[in-house]
Amino acid sequence: MDDYDKTCLESALVGVCNIVQQEWGGAIPCQVVLVTDGCLGIGRGSLRHSLATHNQRSESNRFPLPFPFPSKLYIMCMANLEELQSTDSLDCLERLIDLNNGEGQIFTIDGPLCLKNVQSMFGKLIDLAYTPFHAVLKCGHLTADVQVFPRPEPFVIDEEIDPIPKVINTDLEIVGFIDIADISSPPVLSRHLVLPIALNKEGDEVGTGITDDNEDENSANQIAGKIPNFCVLLHGSLKVEGMVAIVQLGPEWHGMLYSQADSKKKSNLMMSLFEPGPEPLPWLGKMVQLGPISDAKENPYGEDDNKSPFPLQPKNKRSYAQNVTVWIKPSGLQTDVQKILRNARKLPEKTQTFYKELNRLRKAALAFGFLDLLKGVADMLERECTLLPDTAHPDAAFQLTHAAQQLKLASTGTSEYAGYDHNITPLQTDFSGSSAERI
Amino acid sequence: MKIFSESHKTVFVVDHCPYMAESCRQHVEFDMLVKNRTQGIIPLAPISKSLWTCSVESSMEYCRIMYDIFPFKKLVNFIVSDSGAHVLNSWTQEDQNLQELMAALAAVGPPNPRADPECCSILHGLVAAVETLCKITEYQHEARTLLMENAERVGNRGRIICITNAKSDSHVRMLEDCVQETIHEHNKLAANSDHLMQIQKCELVLIHTYPVGEDSLVSDRPKKELSPVLTSEVHSVRAGRHLATKLNILVQQHFDLASTTITNIPMKEEQHANTSANYDVELLHHKDAHVDFLKSGDNHLSGSSREGSFKETITLKWCTPRTNNIELHYCTGAYRISPVDVNSRPSSCLTNFLLNGRSVLLEQPRKSGSKVISHMLSSHGGEIFLHVLSSSRSILEDPPSISEGCGGRVTDYRITDFGEFMRENRLTPFLDPRYKIDGSLEIPLERAKDQLEKHTRYWPMIISQTTIFNMQAVVPLASVIVKESLTEEDVLNCQKTIYNLVDMERKNDPLPISTVGTRGKGPKRDEQYRIMWNELETLVRAHINNSEKHQRVLECLMACRSKPPEEEERKKRGRKREDKEDKSEKAVKDYEQEKSWQDSERAAEFLTQNCLALRRGGKSILILIPLIFKHEIQDKPGVKFLTYGT
Repeated sequence: MDDYDKTCLESALVGVCNIVQQEWGGAIPCQVVLVTDGCLGIGRGSLRHSLATHNQRSESNRFPLPFPFPSKLYIMCMANLEELQSTDSLDCLERLIDLNNGEGQIFTIDGPLCLKNVQSMFGKLIDLAYTPFHAVLKCGHLTADVQVFPRPEPFVIDEEIDPIPKVINTDLEIVGFIDIADISSPPVLSRHLVLPIALNKEGDEVGTGITDDNEDENSANQIAGKIPNFCVLLHGSLKVEGMVAIVQLGPEWHGMLYSQADSKKKSNLMMSLFEPGPEPLPWLGKMVQLGPISDAKENPYGEDDNKSPFPLQPKNKRSYAQNVTVWIKPSGLQTDVQKILRNARKLPEKTQTFYKELNRLRKAALAFGFLDLLKGVADMLERECTLLPDTAHPDAAFQLTHAAQQLKLASTGTSEYAGYDHNITPLQTDFSGSSAERI
Repeated sequence: MKIFSESHKTVFVVDHCPYMAESCRQHVEFDMLVKNRTQGIIPLAPISKSLWTCSVESSMEYCRIMYDIFPFKKLVNFIVSDSGAHVLNSWTQEDQNLQELMAALAAVGPPNPRADPECCSILHGLVAAVETLCKITEYQHEARTLLMENAERVGNRGRIICITNAKSDSHVRMLEDCVQETIHEHNKLAANSDHLMQIQKCELVLIHTYPVGEDSLVSDRPKKELSPVLTSEVHSVRAGRHLATKLNILVQQHFDLASTTITNIPMKEEQHANTSANYDVELLHHKDAHVDFLKSGDNHLSGSSREGSFKETITLKWCTPRTNNIELHYCTGAYRISPVDVNSRPSSCLTNFLLNGRSVLLEQPRKSGSKVISHMLSSHGGEIFLHVLSSSRSILEDPPSISEGCGGRVTDYRITDFGEFMRENRLTPFLDPRYKIDGSLEIPLERAKDQLEKHTRYWPMIISQTTIFNMQAVVPLASVIVKESLTEEDVLNCQKTIYNLVDMERKNDPLPISTVGTRGKGPKRDEQYRIMWNELETLVRAHINNSEKHQRVLECLMACRSKPPEEEERKKRGRKREDKEDKSEKAVKDYEQEKSWQDSERAAEFLTQNCLALRRGGKSILILIPLIFKHEIQDKPGVKFLTYGT
């Protein structure tokens, strides 16, 4: 980021915008801390000027607020409230928060400008924005105190039906385990490090066990490092087994715990949050319907661990999995007609496929009210009949004539032959016995 | 995101009046003569679709895409209109699929060109459409029931897509007025009804379609608010493929879809099996799959505008697949897809490849020439999803390793045992409802939690904290004692385990007692066994409230385990104290404490019963009974036993 020698908040905010997006994309929540003396600059580029021209922006010089990523804008003023109120500075800064959809806050110094008061102001920011999220990770009676980092953000499921943001429980309860192949790279709202922490009797954090330069903490951390911790056990087994733990985060809200390797040696326990709701992953089905394998009649994973109850199959197949008929492009129609024709020329060997394709075309033509096509294909089959070589099997002519006749009946659209569920069946001939053997 | 937006309910109203039987005047060659065939054959004359056929197949294509991408919560009601309105399906989820609609359309058949045009009108269908929009869907009903006093939060909005052949702009105006009027009337009716909902917002999309080559008598008009409840737009579209294109654009607009073209898909040629050519396949999906491009304004870089289409497609390059289903990708979204050209060979090749369980990573060509893997195509249970993979920098860079934190210095975690524990506590779906003994619904997930609770009542985390879990001999007991209920066979196995341990103790077998932190050789052998028995007792005691059979295991354990003298002393003292206690207080007291098996007579009785049970089981099992019990049992009839000891 370039630095400038003139107060120009807009370009600073544009710079923030660009940096955050380039580095982290548009989905990661970011806290932006703006430290200012409360002076807004002068002339062009001053905040007053920026705000005054706010309504005259085009897409190319869009004002950087609201930030194009989830954000909180904290404005730290090196001035007290009285000083700011003497000009319109405070109003302008408040406009900034408003422009960021109200996400953020302004901090001012209580009393005169001195080191102590500035420290206390930043202390307030830390309390507000940087409090660690402490939770208890539970798996039955096995528990561990943990810090979840970064702090999980509240989530709104449907602003109309349920406008209250959901927050995750401080009890993170494991409900069971699933193989990584079965959970299959699920979409997640966010992911977080789960760090085991050591708490003293009062519940204050003693240390994360991470070795620090600080002498006093060092010994405490070393002790914490030597006390068995459930997180480490869980992490180790998840890693070895290639599994994830499903964790309940709140009512109808779940997530998963897994081992995440950062590099060759370093790896960590991570937690990802699924979208709240009864069925966050269609391939697992409803979360409340997941139960212990011991309740099943036979082990759904097989005795040799060679099968899996996942993924769940949906009731209805999607169009690409069920051979739907689409004739919007002429090529679609031509392909289907060609298929019939190709099989017609290989009668009686291809009797079954011939009728299968014929019936598929017939059904679609009836649904689309495209009766002319039925007549056309009937004509075509009759012509094929006349073109049969002398060597052709006698059954071929019988089947072609029969099929053509049936299509013509269907093309009237009125007779019983035009029923959608009616299927044209092969003509029973003296030869059909022998032809059936050849199929 | 709103569940009950206009897209929750879509009503198709398709004109079935005589003029819709007219040809669209766009020919389709269906008799494609293949090379090398007899010369001199004149191909059959091309045919053309009617306005009705064009309308129906375009609306079916709209539904196909919608059902592929939103199989739930986005519903279609299909109405055809002639001398009356024919409602072909309902809002129920079972009615929401192409097969149902196709069968219903086949039953209606094409319009009758000889019917009296005076009797027929699209108005019947439009009135029925408003009526059907007032009907509550199962999703709305469910949400209302769930929200109780906040039921009014559940919205009722919808969209009417009407395909007709209008006579003029004023005719269009008349249709709009009719819808407006009908909404007004039906909202009054709905206000006094429990099973109807007032329409809050209705989007009317009027599509005037006419044969190719004719002049349109109706002009296009963008969306306009006719009243706070009704907006309307008019599209004047030539029939044939133009109508299909229009509905394809509309389905994308209505459901916030975007297009991705997968490029460079290697495919084997049928004729030349050795060579492969590269193909492109265009997919539709929710536009959020492009969220990273949209926000960073990067979309114009890789997007290319397709002619005749309102929207751009983003090109992503196929990466040679590798087996990666055991890899957990950081995925920020997964969206169902629908191929634009579902039956084309490249499309079906791609979808079949994915349906067979393989995944494909997709690469995003960037301005700088650097390549970033940004998406993944993968199928789950017969549905294909476009996964958005995070390609930006992680905010969790260089995190401390777990080995550096709390418990990180401990090296003897029972990793393998916990792995086994996890496998036993894997989840599986229970789709049919189950009921508890009291008739209430059993929630499988609660059962899973119960099981975890049971399995962890006694679970030492490190090897040096446990003896019994390091002993193969204890496995038969340890693996079943955690169960909610035991079979007779389980009990016998537990007893066998205990007898086996007694035998080990008699033979003075060494135990895998940890010597960590102790100097010298560690505890003496009898001390080792005392530790082992104590631990086993802790495990079994943790489960005695599960069932009467669990208690029997404890009874066996207490009868057989060796006890140091001082413990016997303590228990005797305890009994004396107990005698003094008030009887009612005693009853409240956890009975497990009281059921001590000092009483040798009871021990004898117990052993007798179990020996008999073993005999009944027809298995010949060697039971070793400590000598101290010998005289107690000797006299019991029908018991044949072996004794040991000096």
